[in-house]
Amino acid sequence: MSGATLPVVLRVPRANRGTAIRYFARRNPRMIVGGAMVVAWLLIALLAPVVAPYDPIKVTVGDALRSPSLAHLLGTDDLGRDVLSRVIWGSRISLSVGLISVGIGFFVGVSVGLAAGYLGGKFDLFVMRGVDALLAFPALVLAIAITAALGPQIQNAMIAIGIVAIPAYARLTRGQTLAIRSRDFILAARTVGCTPLRIVTRHVFPNITNALIVQATLSTAFAILAEAALSFLGLGPQPPDPSWGQDVAYSTRYLANMKWWMSVGPGLAIFSAVFAFNFLGDALRDALDPRLRRSG
Amino acid sequence: MIRYILRRLVLMVPVAFLVTIGVFVLVRISPGDPALTFAGEERDPAAIAAIREEMGLNQPVPVQYVVWLAHVAQGDLGRSFQTHQRVLEAVTERLPATLELGLAALFFSVTVALVVGILSAVKRNSIVDLLSTSITLAGVSFPGFFLGIVLILLFAYVIPGHIFPPGGYVPLAQDVGDNLRRLVLPAITLATASLAVNLRQVRSSLLDVFGLDYMRTARGKGLHERTVITRHALKNALIPVVTLIGIQVGAIIEGAFITEQIFFWPGIGRLAVQAIPSGDYPVVQGVVLVSAFSYMFTTLVVDVLYAWFDPRISYGPASA
Repeated sequence: MSGATLPVVLRVPRANRGTAIRYFARRNPRMIVGGAMVVAWLLIALLAPVVAPYDPIKVTVGDALRSPSLAHLLGTDDLGRDVLSRVIWGSRISLSVGLISVGIGFFVGVSVGLAAGYLGGKFDLFVMRGVDALLAFPALVLAIAITAALGPQIQNAMIAIGIVAIPAYARLTRGQTLAIRSRDFILAARTVGCTPLRIVTRHVFPNITNALIVQATLSTAFAILAEAALSFLGLGPQPPDPSWGQDVAYSTRYLANMKWWMSVGPGLAIFSAVFAFNFLGDALRDALDPRLRRSG
Repeated sequence: MIRYILRRLVLMVPVAFLVTIGVFVLVRISPGDPALTFAGEERDPAAIAAIREEMGLNQPVPVQYVVWLAHVAQGDLGRSFQTHQRVLEAVTERLPATLELGLAALFFSVTVALVVGILSAVKRNSIVDLLSTSITLAGVSFPGFFLGIVLILLFAYVIPGHIFPPGGYVPLAQDVGDNLRRLVLPAITLATASLAVNLRQVRSSLLDVFGLDYMRTARGKGLHERTVITRHALKNALIPVVTLIGIQVGAIIEGAFITEQIFFWPGIGRLAVQAIPSGDYPVVQGVVLVSAFSYMFTTLVVDVLYAWFDPRISYGPASA
């Protein structure tokens, strides 16, 4: 082996794992903070049976309308149910509706976008008009209309929010697919006889995931907010199941009596969960898309 | 320009058509028999059959759609199952309240966004800037209904003097003062989410413009800083904000559904929300249709304004 003809590669000592994590954290502090908040909420939802101090639906009339104390950190409602326990259990519903509806929107929207962007022509024209029609509705109005039509149930709220999320994914994926379609590696794949399905799944999709990850994170925030709004209007999970939006709506009847804690617990829970996903989404966008780094 | 507007109108036709199909299908997939719901207490099979016949429910679904569309085109959105009032009449009765709330929210959101956004961009990293970025972050994540409740708690119950009432509506023509007093809290509630987005847009587009060559030239030739900002920066930075205001109209329409519910504001959002539990689908359908068409129309107007404001946008076929 003649070393002189080869480029000299200096052996860089591999940084240990701790240094690497510290370096990443220093460069992306917002991603760490946002990620930590999201993980915290996911853990709370997963471990609800362990971390919730009381049964969220157990009625204890003797404990009704108690203000926050050491025994009940966020107080109790008019049926003596512990507000903190309802908030903790409610996270399961909010996060699962958020994640599942985003999953629906992601799967359908990305499939439609990939097909429309790659196939082009009349298929693109017709399908994208359908997407435009979905965009013609204010998002929450459409979600309300779909849930009202299907019936107020948690599964229907998921479907409604999922449908509302489709256009964003479809447009984003189509745009990115159009940009990639004419690149050399796609031409190469086509030349060696890859089927369109294989090209979009193995060559196009992996190249557009960055933008989709950002969109998925931000739309989870929207989905949690939309679920809360639907529940607030009585179109989500039904009593006595704990649900943030529904609990805030329920608390309004005690506003005049100054039982503020009934609203504050679930309200702040919605805010912090939505904030966590928005914060993480913004940080991911900045980290994954260098063009956006300088704005804002 | 006229050709551009005409082209946009033509492009809107298939979308509008699909929107009507969507709204029609939504009602058809709803559980329950519309004739039974309309009949109310009436259980006589002959009467129900007559209602079904009158509502056209015996005809094939595509025929029902065409008949319904023909009625919609003539402004007939059907009758409420509950009150038997014409839906269009119910909507137009409540539209002024929604419009008043929406316009107040839009005005509040745009004014505050402009003032705070400009200050925050000009005095970057100052306290105003910190405040503006915090509002931006918190505003988009704060659920409107929770904000409404916090405002009601604070201003109607906690702060002595009960500055604003917790809800209700008095027509403008009846008592201007009371109307405005009742408008403040719902308008702030409705405006907050769009305020956050507008603020972010004003700030970031101003910051983008500040880095451009003509700004350096303007400063280089000795113009006063205020002139540089108002005459050179703002004029260009506000173009994207116009588009954003169009998008905010959608946010304000959907926000009205929630805000009107919290503040007992008798607008079209509350009309639809109250119609849902009783299965009064014509009302829900009518409000959703009116919302979608208002949103589409606003988007069109905003696109035209955008093209008018920004001479770099061509109206030719390539401008899609």
